[in-house]
Amino acid sequence: MSTATGDAMTPLLEVRDLSVGYETNGGFWGRRGIVPAVEGVSFEIAPGETLGFVGESGSGKSTIGKAILRLVSPLAGSIRFDGRDVADDGPRAPLSYRRQVQAVFQDPSASLNPRHLVAHSIESSLRRHGVTTRSEVRDRTLEAFEMVGLDRSHLQRFPNELSGGQQQRVARARARVLRPRLVVCDEAVSALDLSTQGQIINLLADLQQSTGVSYLFIAHDLGLVRHIAHRVGVMSQGSLVELAPVDDIFGSPQHPYTRRLLGATPASSPEGRDERRARRREFRAKAEAVS
Amino acid sequence: MSETSTTLIAVSGSGRHQGRSSNIGRIVARMRKQPGTIVAGAFIVVLFFTAILAPLLAPYDPTQVNFDNILEPPSAQFWLGTDDLGRDQLSRLIFGAQIVLIVALGAVVVAALIGVPLGLIFGFNGGWWDRIGMRFIDMAQALPGMVIGLTVVAILGRNIIILMFAIGLIGASLFARMTRAVVLVERNKLYVEAAEVAGLPRRQIIFGQILPNLVGPIVTQGTVFLGSAIMIESAMSFLGIGLSSDIPTWGAMLSLALDNQAVAPHLTWPPGIAIVLTVLAFSVFGDGLNDALTGERRRLPRLGLRLAQAEEERAARAAVPTVQAAIGADTSSSSGAQPVLVAHDVSVALAMPDRTQARIVKNVSITVAKGEIVGLLGESGSGKSTFARAVLGMLPPGTWLATGSIRLLGEELAHRRESELAHIRGTRMGAVFQDPMNALSPVHSVGMQLTEPLRLHKAMNRAQARARAIELLERVGVRNAASRLDDYPHQFSGGMAQRVAIAMALAADPELLIADEATSALDVTTQAQVLDLILDLRDEYGLGVLMITHSLGVVAETCDRAAVMYRGRIVEDSSVETLFHDPQHLYTRSLLAANPANAESSGRLATIDGELRMEIDRQLDAFEADEAGA
Amino acid sequence: MLKLILYRLALAVPQLLLLSLFVFFLTYLIPGSPAGAILGAAATPEGIARLEAQLGLDRPWYVRLGEFYAGLVRGDLGNSYISGRPVVELFVERIPATASLILAGMLVAVILGLALGIMGGTKPGSIRDRVATAFTSVSMSLPEFWVGIVLLLIFAVQLRILPVVSYVPFDVDPFGWARGLILPSIALGVGGAALIARQTRTAMASAMSSRYIDSLTAAGVPRRRVVFRYSFKNALVPVLASTGLTVSIMLGASFSVEKVFSFPGIGALMIRSVTGKDFAVVQGGVLLIAIMIILINLILDVSYGLLNPKSRPS
Repeated sequence: MSTATGDAMTPLLEVRDLSVGYETNGGFWGRRGIVPAVEGVSFEIAPGETLGFVGESGSGKSTIGKAILRLVSPLAGSIRFDGRDVADDGPRAPLSYRRQVQAVFQDPSASLNPRHLVAHSIESSLRRHGVTTRSEVRDRTLEAFEMVGLDRSHLQRFPNELSGGQQQRVARARARVLRPRLVVCDEAVSALDLSTQGQIINLLADLQQSTGVSYLFIAHDLGLVRHIAHRVGVMSQGSLVELAPVDDIFGSPQHPYTRRLLGATPASSPEGRDERRARRREFRAKAEAVS
Repeated sequence: MSETSTTLIAVSGSGRHQGRSSNIGRIVARMRKQPGTIVAGAFIVVLFFTAILAPLLAPYDPTQVNFDNILEPPSAQFWLGTDDLGRDQLSRLIFGAQIVLIVALGAVVVAALIGVPLGLIFGFNGGWWDRIGMRFIDMAQALPGMVIGLTVVAILGRNIIILMFAIGLIGASLFARMTRAVVLVERNKLYVEAAEVAGLPRRQIIFGQILPNLVGPIVTQGTVFLGSAIMIESAMSFLGIGLSSDIPTWGAMLSLALDNQAVAPHLTWPPGIAIVLTVLAFSVFGDGLNDALTGERRRLPRLGLRLAQAEEERAARAAVPTVQAAIGADTSSSSGAQPVLVAHDVSVALAMPDRTQARIVKNVSITVAKGEIVGLLGESGSGKSTFARAVLGMLPPGTWLATGSIRLLGEELAHRRESELAHIRGTRMGAVFQDPMNALSPVHSVGMQLTEPLRLHKAMNRAQARARAIELLERVGVRNAASRLDDYPHQFSGGMAQRVAIAMALAADPELLIADEATSALDVTTQAQVLDLILDLRDEYGLGVLMITHSLGVVAETCDRAAVMYRGRIVEDSSVETLFHDPQHLYTRSLLAANPANAESSGRLATIDGELRMEIDRQLDAFEADEAGA
Repeated sequence: MLKLILYRLALAVPQLLLLSLFVFFLTYLIPGSPAGAILGAAATPEGIARLEAQLGLDRPWYVRLGEFYAGLVRGDLGNSYISGRPVVELFVERIPATASLILAGMLVAVILGLALGIMGGTKPGSIRDRVATAFTSVSMSLPEFWVGIVLLLIFAVQLRILPVVSYVPFDVDPFGWARGLILPSIALGVGGAALIARQTRTAMASAMSSRYIDSLTAAGVPRRRVVFRYSFKNALVPVLASTGLTVSIMLGASFSVEKVFSFPGIGALMIRSVTGKDFAVVQGGVLLIAIMIILINLILDVSYGLLNPKSRPS
């Protein structure tokens, strides 16, 4: 993407030594423990940049997104947005933060309220953020819809009357309508077929080009991340094991886990698959010998 | 029973299916399609009018004692006879309806007034509130309702208000539990999270969600509990701890019937039938209301359609031998090696709600040779999994094999009896499905499930089967196999569970393995391991593998040949090299272009939409029209 | 396994404490005083005072609470206000009749309920499912006492093939005991069967649509074996989880069945005590029934643990 960033710019988001844990529910008397999900993770996102996070399930990549969205509270560390530590805001994030940081989740049908017209979800966001006049709400809703490639006819429909790709566009429109500066995309296209996936990815790129929004793009599909991200972070067991520009990660991975992940990712064509298989076998034999 | 507390009110699914629950018109429209609900509703309406108009309808005063007509059988004067004080049974029955409805309605109101606020408090506050509160609810619900009712009456005495309170107290725990469940479900919805990110206050979101979601379940629960309340009221009156005995109640009437059973058996029937019909009406109406609110429909095809299906299948069966002869000659001449699977012209039909049928798999032909891995690539809904099920003879209800022949090692499988197929599955073909965590029964040990095909097909005894199972587990890469045999599936990780599933599929040495999205739910490193395992097993045993997947990467890494499915049809069947480097069909080309792993690391992704989608569809339509013409 | 039993026992202790406290204070909820309620409209202040002194109700609540718990530890729940006999003794001599009734009723309910539930659940939506569901709905709406009266009318009064007075103690005449239980157990069991059938049908239908059914079928396990060996055991897990509730509901229903068949059981004693204002017996009865329910649930929880490997502590 052409809006790539210079390192000299001040970061939009700066995360330092972030740790997040989940409480476990003990038995009847509630003996609780904390299971760490993310430990000591640091990174930053520049304005107009897309940072990709990859890792396997349970690696903690989604938890980071939730911490930034203030859906879970960090145990330690700081999350600075535009120079301010959002952890200082207490349990409730201020509206200004809510407006500037938006999210798109994996399952578009579950993230839209099935009982409300799709327009409603966008209008209520607008009203909440101070846009109250009827005509302005209508105009901005329509504008957001048009930006994501939907039209007037889609406004007055229920989520189950739209296709998966269209639902994801509505979710995008909702995230878009408040003109945020950072959007967290958590497996935002994983549930879609290949043919629809591309449309949403292109849409994200277009919006970035026109508005300069930053993305935190969390996905397990390395091919997808390679395509959209400027820099990529690799998560494993709650830690950020490698963080580098996209070409370095895919061209000369440093960390053994990154190499393993890349080695396991199916290639885009059959050439050299026998060698890849042999390499994996070798690697496993070595790992077994060690353990 | 005096309580129907186990009635399941659909709470969890409510949000998803409801669409527009606020739309009363739609609910009424749905209910009008349920004949049982209409009859029950009509009965309830009649009952209410009877109760309201009791003084006008009853021929006599229900408390009028008449010693000249004691225990009279039904006659023109007393339609239902008289009791031991000469009181008219019909009049008492009519006035009984009034009493029972007043008490039951009062009890429902009391139950809701106590239960709903408690449920809201527990659900919202969570934590200790919830933990301790729910313990109390559990305890209250564990006690027989009759004991609660009897205790209240023992303490407070007997009158109609106390009776309402006593019965209401019994039902309060039901309302509390249901309300809490609704709150918890709505609290954890993803769209609540999404709205929160938009900055809407959580409390407002949840309330906005919960209140509309609560109306339906409360009305349903109320209707169902109304029936229970009538039962409880009748039982208490029957036991003499309800209202005083000169007030006409159905329960008290039955108590008299019991006392005078030997001389006046006619007293037994009217009150009993009245109770049964009333309770039944409320429970049928409540169930209908629940179905209408949650949008549940009877899913199975109607009888007429099923007959049509049977006929269709018979016709298809009759057509098989000719097809068989045709391809039999064809395959033997073309290649020397005997193919493991030859599917020819397979079509699968789906019964539609409007009594027509749709083809979800169309004229699919595919061949898998020994030691060959053949991919079947397609997007969701392309019909690839349905085809796999057709080969296995495991088509879901409402679908059937409409045309074609499926030959496994030369033996025809189409339209075989289930008992014959059961033996072929396992011994000649095995299958592994997506979702490994649900692929094994959670309450049976892994060993038990793994030895099942061994004992069935290989006639091994327990010890032999166990020894072989350990070998198999070791072969698929499960460590400490001997000790893990007695473990349960939940003790395995997803990748390990899928290895066990593969071991089970291969236990009885089949020649064909069908892998239906077998690695789609796994992480990439685990996926690579499981794919490598399948490759190794192919090399070792010369297995034929049908690899059903949506992933181009899986095809690239494993398949020798692949067929691409689109709209139920195979649009291309090529060697894997041709597929990736010289794709023949426009759809294949588009799919390859849309693969982000293929694209340049910057620039736009190719997509399949608009013009391109229309062009692909146009080509396919033209092909189909051609074929129909030919 | 032992750990699970101990854990469940530990859970039962606070439950029992709470319950006993609640039961103790029940008499304080009576408007006026128990003595006034017993004597009724004809009560004089002197009469009430005398009766209170006689029953020990005039002492402060903490003294009585201490006495109540001291008694509880010894297994003493006080004496009946009316007959003066120990409450525990009154109940103990009636347990055999009620236990026989519930066990026999449970037997009928389990057999009929599982049969109906499997009939419907193995093929949801089919004709035989609809028949089973209709049967279940009607059974659920049948008041057990009316079923009892009708059975009595047909088999005892008109056909005279079974006795009117039902309960014969087992040690007196085992054959008579069994014969006497036939009608009452059917009256009680029909409703319980409906509850079990409903649970079984739902559980069976969901077990039948589970993914592991596909794996087993694809491995060549015949359908009958899949249904009865795999689906059934999976379906039993939720069914067993709700059995405690079924037993409790049947215990409540047994009260009116006891009246129909003149069973000298706990229900008859409770009803007599409520109408006779014998609060000591009502209080003791509520506590004993609650203890019984807790014990039954304990046993069920342990057997649930045996059936469901996920709930076993590892």
